[in-house]
Formats: sequence, C-alpha cells, structure tokens
Amino acid sequence: MGDRLEQNLRALAACDPARAAALAAAVPLEAACMPAANGDPTLVADGVLLHSRHDPRREAARWALAACEQLAAAGEAEPTAVVLGFGLGWHLGALAECWRGGVVVVEPDDRLLRTAFAARDLRPLLARVALAPAHLDEAVVDAWRAPVILPHAPSLLREGSGLRALGERIAGRVALRGLRLRVLVVSPVSGGSHPITGYCARALGALGHEVQTLDLAAFAGGMDAIDGFSPKAHARRTVRQAYGRFLGTGVLAAVEAMRPDLVLAMAQAPLDGAVIEQIRTLGATTAFWFVEDHRLFPYWREVVGAYDHVFVIQEEPFLGEARRLARGGVDYLPLAADPAVHRPLALSSGEREALGAPVAFVGAGYRNRRVALRTLLDCGLRIWGTEWEGSGPLLDVLQRDGARIATDDCVRIFNATAVNVNLHSSTWVDGVDPEGDFVNPRAFELAAVGAFQLVDERRLLPPLLAAGSEVVTFRQAGELRELVRSWLARAEERAAIGAAARRRALAEHTYRHRMERLLALVCARDGERLRARPRRATVADAARLEGGSPLGCFLAELPPHTPFTLDGVVRALQARAGDLCEAESILLLLHQFDELYVREARQ
Amino acid sequence: MRKVLIVNLTRFGDLLQTSPTIAGLRAAGDTEVTVVVERNFADVCEGIPGVDRVWPIDLDALGRLLLADDLRAAYHAVAHELAALRAERFALALNYSSSRMSAVLLRLIGVPDTRGWSMSGDGHRLITHPWSRLFSASCLTRGQAAFNLVDHYQRVAGITAGTRRLCFEVPPAARSRVAVLLADGGVGPDQPLVAMQLGASRDIRRWPARHFVAVGRLLHAQLGVRLVLCGGGGDRPMAGEIVAALGPAAVDCCGRTSIAELGALLERADLLLTGDTGPMHMAVAVGTPVVALFFGPALPVDTGPYAADQLCLHAPVACAPCDHAITCLNPFCRDVLEPEAVTAAVIARRAQDWQGLEAAARRWPRIAWYRTGFDAEGLFDLAPLGGAPPSPAERLRRAHRALWKGELDGTSPRPVDGPPLAAEAAALRALAGLARHAAAQAARVERLAGGDADVEVLEAAGRELEVLDAAIFRHGAIHEAAAQLVQLHRFEKENVLGDDVAALARATRAQHEALARRARRLADLVAPRAAATATVEAGGIHAGVA
Repeated sequence: MGDRLEQNLRALAACDPARAAALAAAVPLEAACMPAANGDPTLVADGVLLHSRHDPRREAARWALAACEQLAAAGEAEPTAVVLGFGLGWHLGALAECWRGGVVVVEPDDRLLRTAFAARDLRPLLARVALAPAHLDEAVVDAWRAPVILPHAPSLLREGSGLRALGERIAGRVALRGLRLRVLVVSPVSGGSHPITGYCARALGALGHEVQTLDLAAFAGGMDAIDGFSPKAHARRTVRQAYGRFLGTGVLAAVEAMRPDLVLAMAQAPLDGAVIEQIRTLGATTAFWFVEDHRLFPYWREVVGAYDHVFVIQEEPFLGEARRLARGGVDYLPLAADPAVHRPLALSSGEREALGAPVAFVGAGYRNRRVALRTLLDCGLRIWGTEWEGSGPLLDVLQRDGARIATDDCVRIFNATAVNVNLHSSTWVDGVDPEGDFVNPRAFELAAVGAFQLVDERRLLPPLLAAGSEVVTFRQAGELRELVRSWLARAEERAAIGAAARRRALAEHTYRHRMERLLALVCARDGERLRARPRRATVADAARLEGGSPLGCFLAELPPHTPFTLDGVVRALQARAGDLCEAESILLLLHQFDELYVREARQ
Repeated sequence: MRKVLIVNLTRFGDLLQTSPTIAGLRAAGDTEVTVVVERNFADVCEGIPGVDRVWPIDLDALGRLLLADDLRAAYHAVAHELAALRAERFALALNYSSSRMSAVLLRLIGVPDTRGWSMSGDGHRLITHPWSRLFSASCLTRGQAAFNLVDHYQRVAGITAGTRRLCFEVPPAARSRVAVLLADGGVGPDQPLVAMQLGASRDIRRWPARHFVAVGRLLHAQLGVRLVLCGGGGDRPMAGEIVAALGPAAVDCCGRTSIAELGALLERADLLLTGDTGPMHMAVAVGTPVVALFFGPALPVDTGPYAADQLCLHAPVACAPCDHAITCLNPFCRDVLEPEAVTAAVIARRAQDWQGLEAAARRWPRIAWYRTGFDAEGLFDLAPLGGAPPSPAERLRRAHRALWKGELDGTSPRPVDGPPLAAEAAALRALAGLARHAAAQAARVERLAGGDADVEVLEAAGRELEVLDAAIFRHGAIHEAAAQLVQLHRFEKENVLGDDVAALARATRAQHEALARRARRLADLVAPRAAATATVEAGGIHAGVA
C-alpha cells in the first residue's frame, strides 16, 4: 500500500475506522488517474471526466463559488453542505476554503474512494469534510442541520454510481422535514394486498402524517354477487367494470371531502385513468403501490401512466417497461412486515397443539405447492389456507377444511410451527420458479415473527434477507424433504436464524421503512409542490400565534399536530379529564354554535 | 339594584313569551332587566315593556368567522363578549334557551344564581331549577306537557302572580308605515280586516294554501272583510297563490314588514288566523284575538296563545304530537282542521260568540276546540268547548298538572274528573315501588360509605343501585304514564355533583323518595285507591300493584 493511501486511510480511520477498513479492502477502479495540464491529478471513471483536464483547482473554485451562493441563499442560519460525489476531492477542498459551515460528502463507491485516496494527499480535506457512512439511513440524514444538497455533476453522470438515486432519497428525506401530509390510502376491494393497506396506513400515521383509510372491503360482497347477474362472462365483465367505476366515484367523493396531499392506492384499488386524473385535478399527488407479479396481473399497463408515482416489487426488466409507460417515477419498493402484527407470541399449550406443527405451509393451493409439499406428508405437515380442492393426499393435512386463515391466526401458526415452508406461488412451473424475482410478504412476516423459514431462492432475496444466517433457501422442490428433516433436529440453530431474521426485519423491513422511502421518493420529485399546498393550521401553529394568552396556554397542552379546527380541538379536549378551563369552555361553546347554526351552511 | 340577565337566543315568538316574566321582575321593584338576544331580534325587545337593556349578540358575524375557518377570531369575539357580560355582575341569570350552547354560555358568564340550562365544571349539563327541569322533561314527554311555556318562564324567575298576557308596544312610526302599506293595498282605515299568518318554521306546521283560500272566500263573502296575508319573504309564493285565488279580497303583506310593523299590522286587524307561530304571540301581545290552529308537533297547552279568551283548534289525531325531527309523509292532521270549521271559528270568535263556538265544537267533534284562560293559581289553562268528555290522554295530562302544582307550587291537588285510569295507576304504583326500593338501596350505600365498609362491598352496593335505576328508566320507557316522572328524575340525578360518596348517596336517596312520592300521588290522581280497589274487586287485572 502506498504511503499516500496509508496516510489518508489513517486520517479517515480516526473518525470512521469501519469505512477506512472497507476502503483498504476495496479494489481500486481500473481507470488510473492522469495529470491535468496544470499537473493536478484528474480521473476518467466509467467514461466520465470527473475533473478538468486543464486546471481542476480553478474549475473546483468556480464550482465552490456557486455552491457558496446556493448555501447563502438557503436562508438558514448554519446550513450543512451535502455534496454528492467525491471524485478526487478538488471541489470539496475548494468548498472547504470558502465555506465555514459543515460539509458532508456522500460517496457510496468505495472503489472510487480508494482510487482517490491513492491519488493525492487528502488529509487536510478529511479534517474538514465528513464522509457520510456507506450505509446512509434516514437517521444520518435527519441529523444534518438544514442540509443543502450540492451535486458534483460529473459524479452523478457515472452510471452505476448509485449517486443519483441516493441524491433523490436524501432530497426526499430533507423535503419531508417538518412536513405533515394528509394522506388518503385506498384499499382494494379484496385480495392479498388488502391487509397491506392497513399496514401502510398505520406506518404513515406513525411517521406523523394525517392518514385516512378508504377501506373498500365492504364492497367485496357486491363484487362477488355480480356473478349472479349473468352466466355470460362478457356481461359479468361489463357489470364488474361499472361497479368499479361506481367505487371510483366514491373514492373521488372521499378525495373531495378530505382534500388530501397524497392519495396512495394499493394494487387493485378500483381507480381507472379517468378517476386518477380527476384526483390529480383536485390537487392531490397520486401514488400507486403495485404489489403483484406484473406477469400475472397485466392491468398495470392501463394505470401506471396515470399516477404521479408508481412503486413496484420487481426490478428489471419490468422496471424499465413500467418507466416507459409512466408519467412520473417508478421505483422498486419491496414488501415488508408490520411489527405490531407480525411478532413473537407466547402461546398456550392449547394454542400450540391446535395451531402448531413440525412443518407447516400457510397459503393458497397453487399447483407448484401441491407438487412440492407432497414430499413432506410424513414429516408432520399441516397446511392452512384456501383453494386446495382436489389436492388428493394433501387434503388429509389441510386444516379447517380449507377456510381462509385470518391474519391473527397466521401469526400464531408462524409462531407455533418449527419449520415454516415459504414456497412462492407459480402458475407455470412445478416446484421452484427459476425466474422468480420478487419476495412475497410472507418472507418478511415470518422474519418479523422470528420464525424459522425455508424459502425458495428468489432473485431479489439476497439483498433483503441473508441465506444461511437469516433464512434457509432451496433451489429445487426436491431439496425440501431433506432440509425439513435436517432442520427439525436443530432447534437451537433454528432459533438463532429466526432471531437474526427478526433483527433484520425490524431494522430494515417494516412498513414504516417502506413508507419512509416512498414518501422520500415522492417528496424528492414533488416536495416543493407538496410544501406549497395550503396547510391546515395545527394547535401548535395557533399556540405560537397566541403566545401566552389563555387560549395559547391551553392549545400548548394539546398534541401539537392536532388540527386547529373545532372538531379537532373538541375531540382533543374530550380526551382530557377534570374541570374545563375557560378556553375549553369557549371552544365547546363555539363547537355547539357551529353544530346548531353553521354546519349546514358549510355543506 | 338587582341586575337580572335573561338569555333567549331563540326566535322572536319566544322573546314575546318572555314579556310577562320581564313585567313580573320589574314589578318586584329595584330590578334592572337585561336581555341577551340574537341581533336580528333586538328590535323585538325594544317593544317589550320593562326591558332596560337589550344586549344583542351578532350570531351571523360569529357564523361568518367560523365559515371562514377563522377560529381564533371567533374565540376572541366570544371572549370579548363574555368579559363585558361578566363585568355587569348580574345577580340572577335566567336561561330560556334550552340548548347545550346556551348552557355553556351561562356557565361562562358565571352568575351565581343561574336558572335553566347550565354546565358543571367538568362539562356536564345542569338544569338548575325545578320548573326548568319540568319544562325540559315536558319537551321530551309532550303527551304529558301540562303547562304553558310562559308559565314555566315565570315560575323559573320566581313569579307566581304575573301578567296574564304577552305585551308588545307598537311604536307610532310602525303604525304610520302600516297605514300607508294598507292604503297602498286599497285598505281604508275602517275596513274590517282578518289577518292570516301563512308561514311557519317548518312545512309540517304550515296550513295548506287551499285551506286559507277556502276560509278567505267564505269570510269575504259572509263578512265582507279583507284578508291581509302575513308572513316572511319566503311565504310570498304561497301568498301569490292565495291572492290569485281571492283577488282583491286579499292584501299581500308577506315580507314587507319589520317585526314592529308586523305588530302594527296585527294590531290593526280584527283577528288573526294562524298556526303556532311567532306572529300568533305578537297578535296576543298587541291585544288582537287569535284563532290558532294546532296540528303536527304543535300543542295548544304548551305553546298556546298566552291570554284569556283566545281560541285554539287542535287536530287530536293518534300520532299527535309528532316529533319535531321527523319528516311526515302524510300530514293528514292539517286536513282535520276543515276550512268550514275554521271559518265558523273565525266568525264566532270575531263576534265573541262563545255559544256559537260551543255549537261549532259540537258540529265538528273531530277537532278539539279550546278557550284559553287562567286557573285559580294564575296558570294558563284550556277550557274544552263542545261538552265532550276529556279523553284519557287529557285526563292524564290534567293529573300531571295537578301533581306538579302541588309539588312545585304547594297547591292542594284537585281530583281529576272522569273514570279512573286503572292501567296508568298500576304502572305508576309499580314505579313507586321501584323508586322506594332504590331509595332503600341508596340509604344502604350511604350507610356503607359512612362506615368502614370494604371498598368492594361499597362498589357492589353502588352497582345494585345502578341496576335499580336502569329498571326505573326502562319502566319509564315502557309506560307512558310514568315517562315524565322518570325523565324529570333523570334530570334531577344529573344535578347531583361532588365526590363525597355518602353525600351523593344521600342526595340520591332523597331523589328516589321524591320519585316514589310523586308516582304515588299521580297514581292517586288518576285512580284514587278506593276506585282502584273497586276495579280489582270487579275483576280488573291491571290495578292493585302498590
């Protein structure tokens, strides 16, 4: 290792030893630094010239001047300069000379950093500029005081640097600061994504946003009854479409009443392009989380073009296809678990007997599962779920006559089962789908429960859950029997793997994490528009204006985000105990007056 | 100087109904009366004798602030008004608006002697006068409503020998303007006029236009009178319909008068034909006789024209009085008051022909005809015309009246005419039994609370008392005869405040004893015990539950 590299690494290690170690182990870029005309090193990486061929310092000085102007114009007392892209650090050094405030540089590419660390003495720079952690989570971003994002353009041009996406996330996270959004979450009428609606709504509420859920499950019966109108499929389809349009009208009425900032529609929510457009004209930003397999549910083609933001659980080539049709952004957003629901439970012996088993599967009876699970019939298998009719010997182990299993029972079953089999469904192949990519919600739910699972290999699984330490994977259905028998005998190891899975799920795979990312991405593109929307005053706003008046003192005692409306305030004061103070009584009087004389006029 | 505050934020008719109370308060001497009123009705108060100060509250402006979502401004507007009211240091506050809003308002003003609806410190409703509680109970049990609203108002104010008429002084300027208005309509100064009040607060309370037309035709033909049509601007379409049918016989003054001018107009008329409306009270207040039509939710006993010798025609159909909140799809009660009968009523009343009215009542027995008056205690009363015996419902009402006069005024109850109401008496005696049982349980709770009883034993005793109370409430819901007593009992329970369990139990015991006493007395009024026993001996199955 060269002296320069070693010195730079030592300087970095003083504040971030882990990052220094990672850089030391990184392989440098194939491209080598070259001297500019003035002798300073510059670099072409992935076909992009990161600094001037002539005079990197002068170029850097111009960049830094513009950056300082941007920082000064931010209107904050001491903003933090957040630079995207390290390059060889020339721009960072220039900025550190003209800017007295904090400077952080975000550079996820350890190979580039290693190259830079070997190219020049960066010790003065490292003493002044903080290198953001490799794993940049929301807590790190939130800790930056009044961040102003300053992209180093050449760095962002490098394909595969990840800087553009990272920059968007940071911008979104920053845009979300202090922003309390009004979000309407629209469920499907039925189906697997229905419970996800509730998880998302709860997570958004926990993040401090005002959430209303439009649960359309009440209309499932109507949808089911449509089959009774006609034996002709075409006729039923027509009626179903009309029913969907009727529900869309209802959603519009809800949007008009609530005036949300954001409408988040889950997969199969009954919103067609026309309705989505009308929602947009009412001023709401629209987002769609398509939590299904794009190959099995092609309706996405008809709607992705209507939404402002689309989120999917599959990556390329679907991501590219969707982006070509979309009007706004399309981003990968995997499913998750809700720790309030999916958690370890202490079960009674009766529950364990009723719900437990050495090995179990919970889910619908797709063909690939019927074939694979047959091999486990003599392993103490129990099967739970619907659509197992005609599955032959599997019916002997099918529980509750194939009734739908409620979420609460699913969680108890996960807890009570020694080996949970999680085989993703397939309609076109028996056993494991070799092209299987997305990870189903069950994988995260089992992980959050701390349960041990055998899960089929999926292309997108490795970055989410580590095979061997958090889950155990299998490539072919034929492996299942041996795996089950082997793992049934390893209780302690199963427990350790389950515990590791739970730690991972709680750290990275909750719906709160997903909603944070979703909102960050939405705000990265629409943050300004969302901030500009008229905000309903909160009691905190009103308390500030009132100062130390009796009204202000009372309002200051209420939860700060309570809407400063008569309904909001009266609801809050009704939750309090004891005698009413004068401010409470006056507000109560106004509420009664409003109900008697004003409410009707408001409608 | 005793400063009295009257809060009446309802309609102008209710303000006029406050006039005897105001007169009675002033008659007591050394009293200054301030009336808080909605700004639009401030000029009504200018015409009520005895009002020293009118305190208008601009509810429209407050409503505009709330519609504009300017909650802070609305708050400060109210706070400012409250500060001004408190600075007056009133000695007595009378809340004649039975609403939660007014209850909060009275609490906020904080007059030590507040009567009517108010609020406890922790936000619960209080109704702090027995006559107010009775009035509120009567509103929920209209079948047993026994007193006129004006008498409730007076009794709450502590007035027992008040004016037996509403009062409004028409300003001379209003008379002049009305004379011009009538002259424009071709009505000379000596032209006989019958006024017809068209509008009402709700459609169910509005007598149909075709009936007014029929009556107008007959009156014009038989008496040569002109018909002056009164009402608000919203009644102009109906007035147009009537004018089209009656031609020059009718003069349309709808929406063309202020309230004072309405008073002048009614004063000029020989008689007013009206439903249960604000103008009805105005006519009484200016001394013009009325023929008042009561149907739907309206009852002559509680909102009838407060003066002697007024005529009330009531449609006593099975569903009367209906609830104010319902939308009736078949208001046939309006047609029970046939135009011919109403015409006969107007003609006879205008001529003060009470014998003629008795005959009319006999001719149209489906209608209940009443002559207003006052009883020996000065309380508004209705004397039935036509000689028909009182219905069981009427007798039950009279029994309630006798009971409350005894309970609240100390008057010796007079027996109610008519055969005994054995079933009602049985229900009332059963209620008395439940109440006695509850009183005994409350006494037990009081003993336990005062001693060293285990908390669990005390709580169990309290729960038993709650079960008994639930049985009492259920009994009141099932048996109409018991409904008002039970409702009043509920309001009385609301007024028991404090944390001392023994004191609470003591107050509860007293209330249950009062309920038992009242139920027993009412039972004796509707079916004296000797009569009840006779009924049992005769094989009756309902009496006998003591």
